[in-house]
Amino acid sequence: MAMIELEGVARRFETGAGRVSALTDVDLRVDTGEFVVVLGPSGSGKTTLLNLIGALDSPTEGVARVAGRDLTQASRSELFEYRRESVSFVFQTFNLFPGLTALENVRFGADVAGVDDAPAVAERVLVDVGLGDRAAHFPAQLSGGEQQRVAIARALATGNEVLLADEPTGELDFQTGVQILELLRADAERGAAVLVVTHNREISRIADRVVELSGGRVVSDGPPPEGRKPVSDLHW
Amino acid sequence: MAHSKGLWLRWSWRDLRSRWLQVAAIALIIALGSGTYAGLSGYTQWRRQNYPASYQALNTHDIRVATTKGTTVPEGTLLGSLDQLEHPEWLAGAEERLIVPTQVDASAAGSTILVPGEIVGVDVTGGGPDIDQVHVMRGRAVDEGDITESRVVLDYHFAEHHGLPPTGELTLSGGRTVDYVGLGFTPDYFMVTTEQGSLLAEAGFAVMFAPLQTAQELAERPEQVNELVLTLREGVDLDAATAEVERWMDRVHPGLAAEVTPIDEERLYRLLLDDIDGDQKLFRIFALLILGGAAFAAFNLTGRIVEAQRREIGIGMSLGLSRWRIAVRPLLVGLQIALLGVVLGAGVGLVVGSLLSDLHESFLPLPVWEAPLQPGAFLSGIALGLGLVFAATVYPVWRAVRVDPVDAIATGPRSTRGSGVAPLLRRIPVPGSSIAQFPLRNVLRSPRRTALTAFGIAAAIAVLVAVIGMVDSFLSTIDKGEADILGPTPERVNVTLDFFYPTDAEQVQAISEVEGVAAAEPGLALGGSLVDGSEGDIDVFIQLIDFDNELWTPTPVEGSLETESPSVVISEKAAADLGVEPGDTVTLRHPRREGLVDYSFVESELPVSAIHPNPYRFMLYMDLDDAALMNLEGIVNTVAVEPEPGVSGDEMKRALFGRDGVAAVEPVADVAGTLEDAMEDALGFLDVVRGAVLVLALLIAFNSTSISADERAREHATMLAFGVRPRTVLLTEMGESLIIGVLATLLGIGLGRLIITWLVRVLLPSTMPDITVWIDVAPATYLTAAVMGVVAVSIAPLLTIRRLRRMDIPSALRVVE
Repeated sequence: MAMIELEGVARRFETGAGRVSALTDVDLRVDTGEFVVVLGPSGSGKTTLLNLIGALDSPTEGVARVAGRDLTQASRSELFEYRRESVSFVFQTFNLFPGLTALENVRFGADVAGVDDAPAVAERVLVDVGLGDRAAHFPAQLSGGEQQRVAIARALATGNEVLLADEPTGELDFQTGVQILELLRADAERGAAVLVVTHNREISRIADRVVELSGGRVVSDGPPPEGRKPVSDLHW
Repeated sequence: MAHSKGLWLRWSWRDLRSRWLQVAAIALIIALGSGTYAGLSGYTQWRRQNYPASYQALNTHDIRVATTKGTTVPEGTLLGSLDQLEHPEWLAGAEERLIVPTQVDASAAGSTILVPGEIVGVDVTGGGPDIDQVHVMRGRAVDEGDITESRVVLDYHFAEHHGLPPTGELTLSGGRTVDYVGLGFTPDYFMVTTEQGSLLAEAGFAVMFAPLQTAQELAERPEQVNELVLTLREGVDLDAATAEVERWMDRVHPGLAAEVTPIDEERLYRLLLDDIDGDQKLFRIFALLILGGAAFAAFNLTGRIVEAQRREIGIGMSLGLSRWRIAVRPLLVGLQIALLGVVLGAGVGLVVGSLLSDLHESFLPLPVWEAPLQPGAFLSGIALGLGLVFAATVYPVWRAVRVDPVDAIATGPRSTRGSGVAPLLRRIPVPGSSIAQFPLRNVLRSPRRTALTAFGIAAAIAVLVAVIGMVDSFLSTIDKGEADILGPTPERVNVTLDFFYPTDAEQVQAISEVEGVAAAEPGLALGGSLVDGSEGDIDVFIQLIDFDNELWTPTPVEGSLETESPSVVISEKAAADLGVEPGDTVTLRHPRREGLVDYSFVESELPVSAIHPNPYRFMLYMDLDDAALMNLEGIVNTVAVEPEPGVSGDEMKRALFGRDGVAAVEPVADVAGTLEDAMEDALGFLDVVRGAVLVLALLIAFNSTSISADERAREHATMLAFGVRPRTVLLTEMGESLIIGVLATLLGIGLGRLIITWLVRVLLPSTMPDITVWIDVAPATYLTAAVMGVVAVSIAPLLTIRRLRRMDIPSALRVVE
C-alpha cells in the first residue's frame, strides 16, 4: 500500500541571484513497511525532498500525497495535524530538548501524537533502544550515539506511519551509526514507511530501495544493485 | 595590527547588526536609565540655581520680626527704634507691614469662590516695597496712586487656579470691595501655605498685596503694623544679627511678644531649599534603580551574545589567541551598546528635563527660572550609564574566556551542561505532560539567566512600587489626618476671628445665632513651640478647645483628655521626636498676655496627657480651661461651628461671611481636600518616573523574550516539526514568562517595599520633619505591579508570534550549534 506518493513534484526557490530549482519533476512512491534510502551529493535536493514529505515545506508544482492526505491541498491546520499524527523525524543534529531528560524527550513525541498512556509507551520505547538505564539523564549527559537513539525513540514513540531521517548517522561513529540503522530498519519491519536521506552510499546496501538524486532530479530508483544486505554487513 | 583592530570592530558591528532588535531595545533601556538620571539631576541643579536667584531677585528679607498672632503695634514703633540696635549699620533695609486675615469672595458667574485669605499691607512709597518685592505676573503692581482707591494685587496662584482674569473685583469680610489690578506674589508666597500646614494651598487661600494704608483701612487697624522685615548688608552674619535683634526686642520692647525669625528658619524657605536635597536623594534612588535594571538587562544580553559566541571563542583559543584578544570583540559589543544607549539617553534626559521644567513652572512659578543644559548632570548620567553597562558586560566575557577550549568548541546539547545549582534544579520533578513541563523546565534549566531576567524586571517593578507606593502613603497619611480632623462632625466649619474677643463678646455670641448654625464652640489658636534641646525647637500650632465639647475633640491613641492640671495633647511624631509619652513633661514656649494688647513668650513645663493620631507634628491641643496659662482666660479667637443638617459648607460660609469680627470661614473638609489636590499637583514628576519605568519593564520583558526566541529557535523548530502548533509553542514561552514575571513581581514588590521603608524611616524624617508618613501601599498599586510584571511580561512573547509563524523550520533544524 502506498504510504508516500509524489507526482511531478518540483520545488523552486527565489533567491537574490534568481530562481533555483531544488527539485524538478520528481515522482516517488514508498509503500508501507518499506525502507528507502535517498542518496545524492550535497545540493542534490535530498533534504528538500524530505522537507516536502514531512510538510515542513510545500512543493511549487506537483502533488504530494502521504498517509492518504494530499499535502498540496491541505490547510495549515491540517498540515500540523499531519505532522503530529502521521510523520516523525530524526535529525542529523538530534535536536533534543536540553531541558528535558531522555525519557521526557521521548514522552514528548508520544504526548504530541496523542498516544494513549504516553508515559508507559515512552518508557518501553526507551528500553527498546537500549537506554532504559539512561532515562533520567539530560541530553548533555549522553554521548552523541545515545542522543541519536533518544531522538529515534522519540520518533518511534509517536507510533506514526512515516519516519523521516535526515543524515541520522552523519554525526556518529561507525559502531553507533550501525546501532541507529538497526533501529530504523526495525521500525520499517514493524510496518512504517522509513525514508532515510544520506550521502553515505554504504547505507543504501541495507535499503529495500535506493532513490538517487542529482541536480534535483531522480536519476535512479530501484533496489540495491547487490540486493538488500543485513545491517551487520555494513562497514565504512 | 591596524588591520586586526579594524577586523574586531567590523566583527562587533556584525554582531550588533545580527541582533539589532535586542541591541536597540537594550540601548533604549540604557537611554531611559541614564536619561532619567541626567534629567532628574539637571532638574535639581536648576532648582539649586533658581531658588536662591528668585529670592535674591525680589530682595527677600533676612530677618522677620512678627508680633504675636492677632496683635499689632503702632506704625513706626519698631522701625523708629532700629537705631537702638547694637549695630544698626548691619542693616541694609527695613520695612514695616501689616498682615491681616480676611475672607475673600471671588465668585464669578456660575461658581462660588469663597475662601479665607490675608491682606499683606506693604510700603509702596517710592515704588516700594523694596524688601520682599511683589513679582507681578499679569496686570500691574500697586503704587502710591492706589492707596485711596482700595486697589490690590491678587495672588497669582489663587487666580490661576480659579481661572480669574488679571483684573477684577473682590469682596472681603465686612462687605468691603477691592479692585485687583494685577496678579503676582512675594517671596513669602512662592508657594501658598497656611497656618494649618497646607502646602500649595492656593485653591483655598487668597492673598492680596495692598499698600500699607489700604490694608490698615480694610482691617480697621489704622496706623498699625504687625511685622518688621530687615535685610542685612553683605557679609553680616545672619545668626549674629538675629541674636542682636532678639536682644534689641527684649531691651527696647520688653512688653511686646514677637517672633524673630531668620530667613533660614522660615518654614517655606526651608521647605523649598531642603526639599531640593531630599528630592535629589529620592531622584537618585529612582534613577539608580532604573539604571540598575538597565545594567541587568545589558548583563543579560551581553551574557547571551557571549554564550552564542562560545564556540567561536573556543576556536580562537584553539588558534592560540590570548584571552584578552578574544575578549575584545564581546567587550566592543558591550561598549558600543552602552555608547548608543547613553547617546539616546542624552535625548531622553532633555525630554525628561523639559517635562520637569514645564511641570515646575506650572505649579511653582518663580521670578527667575532658567533651565539651561546641565553638562555636569548629563556627564554623570553618561558616565554612570557607560560605567554600569560596560561593567555588566565584563563579567560574562571574563566567564566565557575562562572556559577550557575543549568545552568551548563542544557542540549541541552537551554544550549547555550548566554549572552551579542548574543540574540540581533540573532534577526537580515537574508534573504534567512534556509540553506542560516546558515552561518550568526552561526556568529551572538556566537559573542564572532566569535570575538575571527576573532581577531586571524586578528593578523596574521596585521603582514602580516605590514611586506609586510613596504617593499612596502620602495620600493615606492625608486621609488619616482628614479622618482625625473631621471626626464625628465632618460638616464643621472653622471661623477665624479678626482679633481676640471675650467669650461673651457680641461678635462671638452673634455667630451661634446665625441662621443655619446648630452649635458653636469658641476656642483659641496660637503659635508656639515645643522646646527640644537636642534637635532644635518644634514649631506648633496650639489650639485650645473645650475638651468636653460635643463637636470635636482629639482622639487619644495613648493617654487621656481627662486631666486635672494644664497639660498638652501632642502628635505621635512630636512625641517620638521628643522621646516622650503620656505622663512625661515637655517644655512649651507660648505667648502670654501681659497687658491689654501686650504679649510675651514664656516657657511652661507641661505634662503630656495624651497623644493624638494626626500625622502633622505641629498640631498641639490644650483644654480651653488651660487658657489661664496664657493669661487668656475667657478670651477666644476662633469658633468651631456645626451647621444644621442640610446646610452646606458653602452656605455656612455665605451666612458667616461679612459678619463683624469674622476674618475667615473655612469648612474643615476643605483643609484636607486642599492637601490632597496639592499632593497630586506636586507629585506630577512621579508620573514622569512612572512612565519611564513602565516602558523600561516592557522593554526588558520584550528583550528577554526576544533573546529567548533566538536561542530556542531550534527547539521551536523541532516542536513545529513534530506538529506542535505555533500557538502551543507560544503558550510554553508565555508560561515561562509568566513564571519569571511572578518571580520578578514578588521580588520587585519586596524591593519596592524595602525602598519605601527606607525612604519613610530614613529620608523623610530629615526632609519632611513635620509629618508622619505611614507606609500604606494601595492594593491598586500592587495590582499595577502585578499587571505589569505578570501580565505584560507574560504576553511579551506574543511579540515573537510573527517570527514563529514565519520560521524556516528546515533551516532552523539544521543549524549546527
